[in-house]
Amino acid sequence: MMNFWTKLQALDRRWIYLVVWLVVMVPLIFPFKIRPVATPPVQSLFNYIDTMPENKALIISIDYAPASQAELQPMLIALLRHAFAVHRKVGVLSIEVQGLGIGEDALRQVAAEFNSHARTNADSVLNGRDYVYWGWTTPYITVMLGMGQRIARVFPVDYYGQKTESLPIMKHLKNYDDAGILVSVAASAYPLSWINLAQTQFGIHLGCGCTAVSAADYYPYVNSGQFSGMLSGMKGAAEYEELLERRMAQTGMDWGLRRKGTEAMSSQAAAHLAIIAFIIIGNIAFFITRRRKS
Amino acid sequence: MNISTDPWVWIAAILTLAIFSFLYRENPFYRIAEHLYVGLGNGYAITFYWHRILVPSLIDPVGHNPSIVMKVWLIAIAIIGALYFTRFIPRISWLVRIPIAIALGYYSGATIPRAVDAEIIKQLRATIITRGQLAHWDAALWAIIILVGVIVTISYFFFSAERKGALKPLSYAGIIFIMVGFGASFGYTVMARISLFIGRLQFLLGDWLGIIK
Repeated sequence: MMNFWTKLQALDRRWIYLVVWLVVMVPLIFPFKIRPVATPPVQSLFNYIDTMPENKALIISIDYAPASQAELQPMLIALLRHAFAVHRKVGVLSIEVQGLGIGEDALRQVAAEFNSHARTNADSVLNGRDYVYWGWTTPYITVMLGMGQRIARVFPVDYYGQKTESLPIMKHLKNYDDAGILVSVAASAYPLSWINLAQTQFGIHLGCGCTAVSAADYYPYVNSGQFSGMLSGMKGAAEYEELLERRMAQTGMDWGLRRKGTEAMSSQAAAHLAIIAFIIIGNIAFFITRRRKS
Repeated sequence: MNISTDPWVWIAAILTLAIFSFLYRENPFYRIAEHLYVGLGNGYAITFYWHRILVPSLIDPVGHNPSIVMKVWLIAIAIIGALYFTRFIPRISWLVRIPIAIALGYYSGATIPRAVDAEIIKQLRATIITRGQLAHWDAALWAIIILVGVIVTISYFFFSAERKGALKPLSYAGIIFIMVGFGASFGYTVMARISLFIGRLQFLLGDWLGIIK
């Protein structure tokens, strides 16, 4: 028996990788149903966007690169769907240059989803009228402070090279005063910069969609009310997707849209159980071998 | 099973597997993928810096703006910015301090006063227990835990006095709060890493092999 625990402690880590690989892969192929329950920070961000005044827009800042796409893209998609479902204007920018393509993909996908169900021109989601993709510019301090005065001055042309001032949506979206909330979807410390620069100076309401790694760092800002809500990691995205699906079903938009965050939850749960088991077994092995040695 | 016929999906899938091969051991496929990523990332960023920043903010205004004052102003700023490259010439590398000093001054001036307000004053205010919180037992409990947690954690980092008397139990309690914080961070980190792996598997099994939706 002693030999077993000693061997276990010296186990090649590649066996653990193999187990994790299987534990994640099998539930993706044969998923079991999990209905995510929204936590208070997710619920409050959802409620905030849902009840935003009609003349206020949602601004989304894509503060991540493709490396964090798996966690954050489902959030971006869900936020865009929500804004278009409740007929709010949307402005999107990117603080990370490598996030530009991600933003374009998401906008194109969600606009196509809504346009494929649109019966009239008013139902459609159109670039320049219902949303604007400002793209990227630098440095971030100038962007965050400059947008509080005049967005068109920070982004003279949008991502597609159109003059920003010429877009109809920009008549209703001149600066932060016209935005109900700005959500920073981030894999970095940019949400803090949004608080420091945009909120402290201009008082804009902020939301945060962050990678799970950063979630523990940002909870104090939810508690203090500096963030009106927060989505943490893929789980946060899945919770938001759940709320959104119910909301869209209420208004006859039961389109069965793909929910990538929710689809991942069975794998996530299985992987967490495996990691917990590894930690428990590892600790038992450690204490047994230490006692035998002493 | 419905394997993709899109060559870009195949390239992405092969590169993903090349990166994953590092889990077995370091190998040339991993190194090729790693170098490709660094090179492509930098090339992409440089292209955007040129087209989105230098051309519209410097080259076009210098070429087309009729104001001589504006042209001189922009050229002067461009020269100051170009001083960053002097670090490659040892004889005049000290000139790099000029743009660094300007950038540091600007960033510090813009962020420090606001950070004090957002990260210290507002956070301190959030620890104050209000009458509204005391109206509900759960809100009151969390508010008390936060207040106690902040006090004992700060007392753990109070190094100006020896840890004895009242400071000793306070700092020990601080350790408990810090450990709980580390545990939460570790749990979230595990969740994050697994999520990234799930994302890649969704791509491999879905977009590439067509096994899942």
